[in-house]
Amino acid sequence: MSYLRNFEYFEPESLEEAVKLKLKYDPEEAKVLAGGVDLVPRMRRRQILPKCVISLHRISGLDYIESNGKSGLRIGALTSIRSIELSSAIQRDYKVLYEAVHQIASIQVKTMSTAVGNLCVASPASDVALSLFVLGAKLRLIGRTSERVIPIEDFYVGLNQTSLRPDEIAAEIILPSSTAQLSCAFLRLTRTATDCPKVNVAVTMKVVDNRCKNVNIALGCVAPTPIRAQKAEDKLRGQIPGEKLIEAAADAAAEATKSITDIRSTAEYRKEMICVLTRRAIEKSLNMKGESYRRGDMQ
Amino acid sequence: MSKQIAKFNINGRPYEVLIEPQTILVDLLRDQLDLMGTRLNCGVGECGACTVLIDGKLNLACSRLAITATGKDILTIEGLAKGTTLHPIQKAFAEYGAIQCGFCTPGMILSAKALLDSNPNPTKKEVQEALAGNLCRCTGYLKIVDAVLAAADAMGKGGLA
Amino acid sequence: MSALKKEVIDLSGIENEKKQSIVGKRIPRSDAFEKSTGLARYTIDVKLPGMLVGKVLRSPHAHANILNIDKSKAEKIPGVEAVITAEDVPNRLFNGTFTIYKVSPERAKHEVEDRYILSKKARFVGDGIAAVAAIDEETAENALELIDVQYEKLPAVYDCIEAMNTDAPRIHDFAKNNIAKHISFPFAAGDVEQGFQQADYNIESTFKTSKQKHCQLELDSCVAKFDPQGRLTIWSPCCQIHLFRRRIAWLFGLKEGMVRVISNYVGGSFGGRSNFNAEPICIALAQKSGKPVKLEYTSEEDFIVHMSRQPFVQTGKIGVKKDGTITALQTKLVTNGGAYFETSGATTAVNMVLFMGLYRCPNMAGEGDVVYTNTPVSGGFRGYGNPQGTFVLEQIIDMAAEKIGMDPMAFRLKNHRRTGDPSWWPSIPLGSCALEECIRIGAERIGWEEKRSRKDTGTKKKGVGMAIMSHPSNVFPLFIEHSNASVNLNEDGSAFVSVGVSEAGQGSLVVLAQIAAEELGIHVEDVHMVTGDTDITPFDMGTYGSRTTYVLGNAVLSAARKAKIQLLAHAGKKLKVSADELDIKDRQIFVKGQPKKTIPVAEIARDTIYDHQGKGSNIIGTSSFNASNSAPTFQAAFVDLEVDTDTGVVNILKMVMAQDIGKTINPLGAEGQLEGSAAQGIGYALCEDFVVDSNSGRTLSDSLHTYRIPSSLDIPELEIILVEEKDPTGPFGAKGIGEAGSVAIAPAIANAIYNAIGVRVKELPMTPEKIFKAIKMASSQEGR
Repeated sequence: MSYLRNFEYFEPESLEEAVKLKLKYDPEEAKVLAGGVDLVPRMRRRQILPKCVISLHRISGLDYIESNGKSGLRIGALTSIRSIELSSAIQRDYKVLYEAVHQIASIQVKTMSTAVGNLCVASPASDVALSLFVLGAKLRLIGRTSERVIPIEDFYVGLNQTSLRPDEIAAEIILPSSTAQLSCAFLRLTRTATDCPKVNVAVTMKVVDNRCKNVNIALGCVAPTPIRAQKAEDKLRGQIPGEKLIEAAADAAAEATKSITDIRSTAEYRKEMICVLTRRAIEKSLNMKGESYRRGDMQ
Repeated sequence: MSKQIAKFNINGRPYEVLIEPQTILVDLLRDQLDLMGTRLNCGVGECGACTVLIDGKLNLACSRLAITATGKDILTIEGLAKGTTLHPIQKAFAEYGAIQCGFCTPGMILSAKALLDSNPNPTKKEVQEALAGNLCRCTGYLKIVDAVLAAADAMGKGGLA
Repeated sequence: MSALKKEVIDLSGIENEKKQSIVGKRIPRSDAFEKSTGLARYTIDVKLPGMLVGKVLRSPHAHANILNIDKSKAEKIPGVEAVITAEDVPNRLFNGTFTIYKVSPERAKHEVEDRYILSKKARFVGDGIAAVAAIDEETAENALELIDVQYEKLPAVYDCIEAMNTDAPRIHDFAKNNIAKHISFPFAAGDVEQGFQQADYNIESTFKTSKQKHCQLELDSCVAKFDPQGRLTIWSPCCQIHLFRRRIAWLFGLKEGMVRVISNYVGGSFGGRSNFNAEPICIALAQKSGKPVKLEYTSEEDFIVHMSRQPFVQTGKIGVKKDGTITALQTKLVTNGGAYFETSGATTAVNMVLFMGLYRCPNMAGEGDVVYTNTPVSGGFRGYGNPQGTFVLEQIIDMAAEKIGMDPMAFRLKNHRRTGDPSWWPSIPLGSCALEECIRIGAERIGWEEKRSRKDTGTKKKGVGMAIMSHPSNVFPLFIEHSNASVNLNEDGSAFVSVGVSEAGQGSLVVLAQIAAEELGIHVEDVHMVTGDTDITPFDMGTYGSRTTYVLGNAVLSAARKAKIQLLAHAGKKLKVSADELDIKDRQIFVKGQPKKTIPVAEIARDTIYDHQGKGSNIIGTSSFNASNSAPTFQAAFVDLEVDTDTGVVNILKMVMAQDIGKTINPLGAEGQLEGSAAQGIGYALCEDFVVDSNSGRTLSDSLHTYRIPSSLDIPELEIILVEEKDPTGPFGAKGIGEAGSVAIAPAIANAIYNAIGVRVKELPMTPEKIFKAIKMASSQEGR
């Protein structure tokens, strides 16, 4: 019950064909369907009423996690989040991405959702996006006449807004060479274990002789898009962090945020917790306290 | 787009059905095929009551357009028992008190099946994680977890699939 | 996460009592096959030929006059068979619950009847204004969009305290200051002011409880069909089919005999289906269109329109002497009833009555105001006012114990009521109470002594807390508590038992089958239950108030006994012995003392039917049971938890619930009820929060995305102990425990949080945000 309103429906057999179809409509009128876990419920609830739905599911060769030549990994447009979670290559070489997707509790949702699709929803709470921020990931976007590869951070321009051009479809995530040698941490707070996060933090860093190099800190749920905590990174880079410096970095991270109050949490709490989680994530990365952090508020 | 004939393979049986692209899989199953065991509640992919297996993978029928499931093997709860012989998971659910109102039960059992198909000897924690996408308001989950562990044990000993 | 121990502790020690072979056993429920194979059918699955689809047009405004409704365009759409508004339905004010039939006529006058089938004034966002029946969903939705409603928006009020201000917008004309009803605690005792003067310390505190959604998985729906003679059949998940029938008949001007109510399996109720939901509008559409109509609520509608637990703003005050004696108890509460009265009067009364019914205290008083607000309607939910009141009571008890330097467990042991004391209805004493044993064994299992004095350093602090509760096994003498049962022998020695209860998951069918089988001396699989149809099953007050095991159990026991007497009488003739010398076991009727002299039950059953001497009869035992005792159950709940003081996150390490159950008919079912209600209690305590936007009145908690209930990963280790001290009036000594698990969890958690961090959170849910804020405030007050 609760049928869907009429839309035109296409099942192209290539991304190029999908792009051509998409161009026939205004950007807001055409929706690309990958997993459907976000799109179909929204259509059922009349939150989105597309004129056209372009399903990618008949396009072969889009479901892959494979080596990018000499180094790095590519993840295809129809690769599910569950596949990413189960991939030994991801677990080994991109631990922070594994930790991010592992925190998403529902196996059904992970099975149906694609990572690329998740990015295209452009939620500031996306665990996938956050971990890709600190991995320096890129996105390949296929357009009518050309394609481009952009850093993941440039993909996000606003709340649920991406920098996709009207003729573009996101085709692939490109991960850099293995990050197995990096320290990392992924932390989030939720209302229940299966909820979307109230706040989430991802960190990768290279630690050499106790000294921080290449610090990457990303914060979620505290701005219209996931953001990098650049001031916090600046404080830590090149330093041997002690308790005071870590606290200062965490404070700097929280200062740069613009939290809101919504059904999940309050602006004040989010700001405080970004500080706490950033501190803990840095500590975890530095292996200072070695605490294990449980999934969800209630556990 | 107008209605078209689509072919489905559900519980090992072929079906030819008239659908539109707008038809959601759960509505196809319930409204057109009288396979009412796939339940509908939240409609937003949260409760798992509409869980089915498509090519052996867990799916939420409330969030899937039926047209994207043609040509695939779909297993609903009706396809699990063989006549009146219950699958060990179904038996365990009955014996361990894992069923109360029964509305979440089909989805729970299929999630349990997906778990045991890939991990025949799960820990308690792994069972909890496997069922995280299925909400139950009646049982508090404790007996459901007990039932899945018991089913794993029975299947390990009896070799039943 | 697991139920660590499944334990039944028998306190009765009655040596010569007959040992049961079926009652007390972990017997799987009889509907498990259907439910595990997807073959079980719920109202939402019902399909009838020619059935129309119903849809409701709901107010987008929290408070508005309706100036005009133009439905002409909607009516013209091909495929639309009925468009109705308030003027097309019976013009009767009603209350959608059935309390007026349960209480005395004098008490019934206190119920407020304040709503119409379709509202003439919009009082909350979601109030039903018009409805459509059409050939399919798309047509119905298109028709809704063409109904033109002219609203005159009015100022709205959402907070129940603000709603009582003299300048607040008035929601119902009759309710000055939006107070629908003032209710006093009916058993006021002594003089509370004097009691407070006699006390060495008086502790008073105000708490806020929250609106909790049932989130039952089967969404509300109804199917209604009038036959050519005007007889109405309704399929509904309602849990009080006979009272429902009476109310529908009254509302639509029909005789009860012209209404048939069928309640198939119900996909969860938890107290939310003891009242009208989709039915009145559905029936009105069927009446207008002359065709069967199915009205199915969407998930959003279910969230907004299906009534949810009353939130209270409640003050509790306790007077206590240094030696731990309680000198006075008082409570004042404001009930946020939402837009209509429904059960808010009853839950306000239950809150106060059970608040005052747990401890010995000579001076007691309470006052409550049920207040209207422009929010979704509040309604009955498991515990029915008791979880809210106990959240207050059990915290002021802890606060009092702390004030006098007494261990909170010792304080409770000193003061709780015991067997022989007045029950919540003071003129009826408690027939049994195993609470002391529950407290002692619960404390031992949680490790109370060693854990109370823990002093954690670091950011994670552990704490242990407890709470006790009581809840009746039925609502005698406030309500009529009347159930009927019919036990019918088949020729093969099996039996079918006909009862009016609805099976909403609570497991009543197997419990009643066990009682019948035990009494008849046959096997439980020989008993088939017939239920949920007013044309077939005898009268029952319904499935609510934890009453089924106790009241209907007694009715089934009595009916089975009568059938047994008939069996033995016939067998006696055949065996040429007196019926007194016979008994039944394992499907065989035997002579006592001569176990080899037997005759199968089946043979007697068949012979009495196929009697060639012209004396054929059917062995049927029928019984009307009226409860004369409410046999309250008691529980002690203990929680061990850890608070992360940096985040306010609570991690429950272990919970123990020791339940005074009387006699466990089916441990599998009893544990399931306690575990399930404990899970609801955890959600109530920590995360479930029904939020209404304070600018527009729109419900923000309109899906399982926005409103969170616990998942399998959110339930801690839970130990259930069933303590059996048989109640003299319960069937085999049993009490009803269906609601018990959801009452004491929240205060036990609150008390444990206080033990951990020295901060008390007085508002539900106790979210990390609130705990963190309370910690910060406490720190700044201490000048750190």
